[in-house]
Amino acid sequence: MPSPCNRVILAAAGSRKTQLIIDGALEAPGRRTLITTYTTENLAQITRRLQEVTGIVPGNISLLGWFSFLVNQAARPYQAALIGQIDYIQSLNFTGQRFHRTPREQWRRFYFDRDANLYRDGVADFACRVDDASGGAVVRRLAAMYDRIYIDELQDLVGYDLDFLDRLFQSGIEIIAVGDPRQHTLSTNNSTRNKQYRGAGLIGWLRKRQDRCTVETRAESWRCNQQICDWADAIYPTMTPTKSHNDEWTGHDGVFTIARDDVHTYVAKYRPMVLRHSRTTDTMGLPALNFGLSKGSTYDRVLIFPTKPMLAYLKNSDPARLKASDRLYVAVTRARHSVTFVVDRRDATYAMPPPDAELHSG
Amino acid sequence: MLKKIVIKNYKVFRDFVLDLAPGMNVVVGDNAVGKSTLLEAVNLALTGRLNGAALAVELSPFLFNLDAARAYVQALQRGERPVPPEILIEVYFDDVVEHAHLKATNNSLREDVPGVRIRVSFNEDFREEYDAYVADPAQVTTVPAEYYKVDWLSFSGNSVTARGVPATASLIDATAIRLQHGADAYLQTIIGSNLEPNERVELSRSYRSLRETFSGIDAVAAVNEKLAGERGDISDRRLTLSIDLSQRSGWERSLVPHLDDLPFPYVGKGEQSTLKILLALNRKKVKDTHVVLIEEPENHVSFSRLNLLIDKVVQKCAGKQVLVTTHSAFILNKLGLDELVLLSPEGGHRITDLPPSTVEYFKKLPGYDTLRLVLARQAILVEGPSDELIVQRAYLDVHGKAPIRAGIDVINVRGLSAKRFLDLAVPLRRRVAVVNDNDGDPQKMAAKYADYARYEFITIHIGKGDPTTLEPQVLAANGLERMNQVLGTSYPTETALLKFMLDNKTTWALAVAESPETIIMPEYILDAVAL
Repeated sequence: MPSPCNRVILAAAGSRKTQLIIDGALEAPGRRTLITTYTTENLAQITRRLQEVTGIVPGNISLLGWFSFLVNQAARPYQAALIGQIDYIQSLNFTGQRFHRTPREQWRRFYFDRDANLYRDGVADFACRVDDASGGAVVRRLAAMYDRIYIDELQDLVGYDLDFLDRLFQSGIEIIAVGDPRQHTLSTNNSTRNKQYRGAGLIGWLRKRQDRCTVETRAESWRCNQQICDWADAIYPTMTPTKSHNDEWTGHDGVFTIARDDVHTYVAKYRPMVLRHSRTTDTMGLPALNFGLSKGSTYDRVLIFPTKPMLAYLKNSDPARLKASDRLYVAVTRARHSVTFVVDRRDATYAMPPPDAELHSG
Repeated sequence: MLKKIVIKNYKVFRDFVLDLAPGMNVVVGDNAVGKSTLLEAVNLALTGRLNGAALAVELSPFLFNLDAARAYVQALQRGERPVPPEILIEVYFDDVVEHAHLKATNNSLREDVPGVRIRVSFNEDFREEYDAYVADPAQVTTVPAEYYKVDWLSFSGNSVTARGVPATASLIDATAIRLQHGADAYLQTIIGSNLEPNERVELSRSYRSLRETFSGIDAVAAVNEKLAGERGDISDRRLTLSIDLSQRSGWERSLVPHLDDLPFPYVGKGEQSTLKILLALNRKKVKDTHVVLIEEPENHVSFSRLNLLIDKVVQKCAGKQVLVTTHSAFILNKLGLDELVLLSPEGGHRITDLPPSTVEYFKKLPGYDTLRLVLARQAILVEGPSDELIVQRAYLDVHGKAPIRAGIDVINVRGLSAKRFLDLAVPLRRRVAVVNDNDGDPQKMAAKYADYARYEFITIHIGKGDPTTLEPQVLAANGLERMNQVLGTSYPTETALLKFMLDNKTTWALAVAESPETIIMPEYILDAVAL
């Protein structure tokens, strides 16, 4: 049954996505609510923030990681319908992969390792097939357990996750999914299924499901100032421009470049959070955080050691040629006030000015 | 509500299924058929605990079904590689939306319903040790329980915790009253679960403040002063006396329930078990399913008190699911014969189609020993004590042993209740012979039982010919001289002897029953004992 209650909220960085989930879950004390998201870090953060409001997580709210949800509540209950035996599934094999030429019909080798753990690439696929084999019992059971399911960081769901989500959309459960396609830095699996709907492609997938969910856009940021919003928006020109609610003026606001020679002086003065691509990046001895890990966090200022494609983008401003645009977007949108890129030398061809004026006037 | 119980390889049950009724389930059965084990198993599946401890702690080879263990050991010794037997106890709940999280098909019947199961199975982590152990099958005499693990799961396949199980069980075992630290653990659990959380907090707070007050009393302070002065004799540290304030010794361990100022353990055992049963039935938690498991409530309880107790049980159990085991026909009749579950190692026979008027009849006249009919292999229903004695003797004469040794119970059912017993025999498909006088009209008497005679397992034996009752029948069959000889009497006429027999029914019957002489039994009685 199509449910007009399903909502997908595509929200810019700093638009208080998680707060929306916390508020929504707490305002409905009678509803049996599940909150799920891919990463354990995010799940822990949601749990902590719920506890900050209510002391303990209310009894009607369950929190499950996406894989716990899939394995324990979708794959396991009706496993017998597909594989003909009960008590077979042990747990999840997160790191291993099936031999790539195993045919899908050989379920034991296709979905499971030798210890009967589900390969992560196959979990959602398996869940969908069990649902089919059981005549929809998997989703019916979930519908009996939950009135509402919140999914945070929707953009992390890929492959067969989307097929399972489609089933949830049609289950009668009220699904509220929140995410930002621009922040697609992680994926639950590496399945080739639905490849075209990864990242910004998610919007295309949602567009085809207007009969079963409404899509809202929250193009506003309580975190980044307008200059940062505009700069980040330029990476995804097709998406709605973001309106900033941060008009605090610090004297060093916006997006800048700085030469390597000036980095230590700059760091001493502004104490930014240093962000890098990976631990192999040379950050001139400064302690730093990987782009991917910075997701969800807020800092006053960030100093970015850009990758080569990012450096190119700083000059040509052409998002079509930019790889890993999601990482750049995540890195830039961590900052409230200022984003500064480390470049080799002062060069007027960069699209942004150096923060020299501020650097020397202070 | 519990719908069904499945037990595999646990104690007496190798492969057992029992459907449960929503309200009262009165479980009867012979000794060693598994009545206590059934209650224990239900409690185990719902609480994960056996004898008050986690099952993993209590695991032993003795929990496994003997036949299953034997089959396993024998297969090993034949050089096969048998799968070590698994214990499985499953409780199936009714399919309501509140239990959806426990629902799915991970159960042995593959039913899509909510439920919980406890599974004791071989732990693959011990594969290496196990293989080494069974390498020499001669040393394997039983199931190697030390290589087993315990899983407590729901039918969704996921682990459950005590909190996640929507049903709680109170197991009231009045046969074993265990004393631990004042009052026993059962009672503490029952009292504890009757209190609201705030009441419990209040109780433990008051208890703690009482203990604190103790050390403030002058006399105690003086004693402690003195003890502290003796430093060095035992230890260099300060020695004082105080009440144990540690968490372990909460009110649960120190407070003892009193009945009329008598500490609970000193109250009679009958009263103890009565109180336990009533406390368990008093639980008011609305949301969770609560199953009351009562083991042999008749123990230690006098007849008059039992009557009161059973009345209360009936009254308090409205809307609750109860499993009672009993050896008492009185309890069975009072609780309702329609709630009867006749237990066997494979399952339980529940009788349906019992006429409601018959259920009511035995509720009002609970003294009838219906349980004898239920438990007997075969029964012969007779009309009075003299008939009972003569039929017993007739059986002995024909078969060379007392009927009871063949599982045949001769039950004296007096007049009208014979048909009520037959109502009970029909759903049980119990082989029954009815021995009845013809009261002067054999056809009328036969018509009275016509409804029952159509069952192949019920036979009606009515006195033949003119003699209306047993005495003239026996006299006619044996004659004056023979009967005078057997009874040690010397009546001159049949009329006089018959008058004696009719006036002293049990006396003559007893004399025949105990006589070294054998008499000729009337034909209808021989027919009845021929079965």
